[in-house]
Amino acid sequence: MMNARRIVSRLSWFAFAAVALIGCRTARQETVTIYVSEDRVFSEPILKDFERDTGIRVLAVYDTEEAKSTGVMNRLLSEKNNPQADLYWANEPVRADVLRQQGVSTPFKPANAQQIPEKFKDPAGYWTGFSARARLFVVNKNAKFRPTSVLSYSDEKTRGRSVIANPLFGTTTAQMAALFSVWGDDKGKQFLAALKANRVKLSTGNGESADLVATGEFDFALVDSDDAVDRMRRGKPIEIVYPDQGEGEPGLLILPNAVSLIQGGPNPANGRRLMEYLVSPETERKLALAGCAQIPLHPGVAPPAEIKPIDQLKTMEVNYGDLGAKLQAIQPVLKQWVGY
Amino acid sequence: MGRLLNVKRFTLGASAGLLALIGLLPLSVMVAYSFIADGSIGVRHYVDTLGRTRAWTLFLNSIALATFSTIVALAIGVPVAVLIAKTKMPFRRLITVCFSVPILIPPYVLATGWFEILGRDGLVSRFTSPSVGEMTSSWLFSLPGAVLVLSTAFLPVILLLSLASLRGVNPTLEDAARLFCGWPLVLKRITIPLALPGIWLSLVLVFLLAMGEFGAPSYLRLSVFPVESFTQFSAFYNAGAATAASIPMLLVVAIGLLAGSRLLREGTHYFRWAGSQVTPHHISLGRFAPLTSALVLIAALVLIVAPCAALIWRGFSGTAMNSALLQATDSIAWSLLYAGIAASGVALLGFFLAYASQRRSFAKWLWIDGLTLFLFAIPGTVIGIAAIVTWNHPLTGWLYASPAILILGFAAQYIAIGTHGIAAGLAQFSPSLEEAAEIAGAGWFRRVATILTPLSKTAITAAWLLTFIFCLRDSSLSLLLSPPGRETLTARTMTLMANGSPDVIAALCLISMLLPVIPLAIFGIAVRIVRKRA
Repeated sequence: MMNARRIVSRLSWFAFAAVALIGCRTARQETVTIYVSEDRVFSEPILKDFERDTGIRVLAVYDTEEAKSTGVMNRLLSEKNNPQADLYWANEPVRADVLRQQGVSTPFKPANAQQIPEKFKDPAGYWTGFSARARLFVVNKNAKFRPTSVLSYSDEKTRGRSVIANPLFGTTTAQMAALFSVWGDDKGKQFLAALKANRVKLSTGNGESADLVATGEFDFALVDSDDAVDRMRRGKPIEIVYPDQGEGEPGLLILPNAVSLIQGGPNPANGRRLMEYLVSPETERKLALAGCAQIPLHPGVAPPAEIKPIDQLKTMEVNYGDLGAKLQAIQPVLKQWVGY
Repeated sequence: MGRLLNVKRFTLGASAGLLALIGLLPLSVMVAYSFIADGSIGVRHYVDTLGRTRAWTLFLNSIALATFSTIVALAIGVPVAVLIAKTKMPFRRLITVCFSVPILIPPYVLATGWFEILGRDGLVSRFTSPSVGEMTSSWLFSLPGAVLVLSTAFLPVILLLSLASLRGVNPTLEDAARLFCGWPLVLKRITIPLALPGIWLSLVLVFLLAMGEFGAPSYLRLSVFPVESFTQFSAFYNAGAATAASIPMLLVVAIGLLAGSRLLREGTHYFRWAGSQVTPHHISLGRFAPLTSALVLIAALVLIVAPCAALIWRGFSGTAMNSALLQATDSIAWSLLYAGIAASGVALLGFFLAYASQRRSFAKWLWIDGLTLFLFAIPGTVIGIAAIVTWNHPLTGWLYASPAILILGFAAQYIAIGTHGIAAGLAQFSPSLEEAAEIAGAGWFRRVATILTPLSKTAITAAWLLTFIFCLRDSSLSLLLSPPGRETLTARTMTLMANGSPDVIAALCLISMLLPVIPLAIFGIAVRIVRKRA
């Protein structure tokens, strides 16, 4: 009996010591808290590099597939009066701008982002864009029809042969907001109706869309450039088509990552330091080489081999700040369209 | 004497208060929030959510998933339990272990294992053709696939509870019946009917667990209520809509629990275990014994060993394991720490609540019993959302931002394991032992420390271990409540699933499978050492 008690007692002391040790380590170390919408597999190595280079511990919260890149943004909104994060790393600027509109973020213009074109930054510094994705078509190599424009979705020749990700989540929401902004609400609603009439398949996300095209179940899908490059690198029979590049067409949508400083965050100085790190040319180079194959916005940083450099693409002229407001305005329309 | 009585009442009252604080308060706050929409009180969330066809489609999906999973688990679990309990079929112990393994594994890990077999690029596709792979993949990512995963995941519940019920049947009744008829009729008329309340209880439990399961349906993209609640909350942060979405499920849980408690009450009339005085007779399978054993082992191989082996095949490489361990060492430590603290809390709080319930210390002891069971049966997403809604305020920011919120969530969800497990232990000895010590002048805490705890230490240890395992395999609470930078292994694995390397994910799943083995091994070694020295 004594032995059992001794064992239990020693185990308890061991557990107590372990807890104390972990507690002390965390308490002693400088930290920065960041909420991340970018896929963890790509963002975590960057944050680990920052930890290694600066000695500041990064406490991160990542979105899950189910939350579709909106989970941490909504978490930040709900924590407006009880802020826990210092930074928000969004995988597109529209939701970062929603935080500006809701008074969750605070302005900061990082010095490392001076060479990034102004159209990819909030004029007041509420968010700064870096490393972008392009919204483009993946097309199966055996497809009979090659789309050229987003409007190809409503072309009768493509009836039942195309797929698009659920527009309530992820970058497809931003795409819809951009189309509604460029075309106006009436044409946007007509486009949505045409998608239904043309039996466009609704997938759970861009990754699934790309897979459905790669297996030949569908001919084409509008996805992010990283989804396309990933399938190409895995040897899938797909090719990239850049939509709306012709005369009079609006161009393709570019969605940079965006980073925002959170108002009232617990470690603002470390937050600013991490923000400088994220928007640096070095981080853009890493993200271009990584599996996410993102397009650098700094001049002189090489893009991934599979994607054209940004200056060779006709890009959609959008104000990302307006897209944030548009996104909120059209959410009921999208919800109704999807059947939520 | 009066002071001591107060100490006892204070402790039990504080325990009940703590249960209300971690379980009842968050649920009440969540329900209250659901009646506030755009600053005014009303039922808009309910009208918006439950007034749509989609809500009822989801409800039917959840019911279908739970029903079919229960039926499949019943069809396999009960016959196997009968064979193990009533025959001398070879390899009974191995078969019991094989079929019990899924209780240690998070259901989404089983789903990942099946994906390695039936997915588009899975083993079936590789050994046949891509078109077959597409077909099996579509099957897996649909209701039948989810039924396969959940029926396997919850099979141990039916098997172990049925085994306990069958072994609890008084053998003298079976012997008496055997004088007049053969075993088939004895099983039909005596054994199964007497074990039926326990079997029914296991069915109710599996139905509720399958209905509340989040991880596997979410992985398999099946639209069911827990996934919808999680999406409503995570994607839209709409706690009101998430609450409204979960109300039909809560009603089903309440009905299930009422049915379960009725079955338990009925069950107590039937069990008259004769203990060691009567040795149960076994059904002779004769020359069919090896064949029966082989068939059952093949079923275990297909249903349980195959998905685990597929994960090992995919993830058990030096590179993948190394990468997984490099990424996940912290998460493994946090998982063990959170589960350890939560299990200890559940054992401690569970002990006092079990005492209050077992000794009828409160007039409303049944409410405590009901609340703990209700918390166990409702989906983790509901408990998680309730905790966030309640504690996400500047005043309670210290709790919201710390691991304590996750530990409290675990404690709330799994307190029933502590209360019911330890209550069963306390019921094994007479209250007169405690009364004798009281007459001799021992205070209540002294009686607890020197009489009640040592006598119920097996039940306390079992409750601790079971809670520990449940916390390790939990996915919904881990995802919703893990604090920044200190997430559990489950949360890490699930957030890596978007574009993560399949090899590393398989390796992480393998680590998740092995994690609960650690405390079991330590416990086993400790027991052996203590017994040897004794």
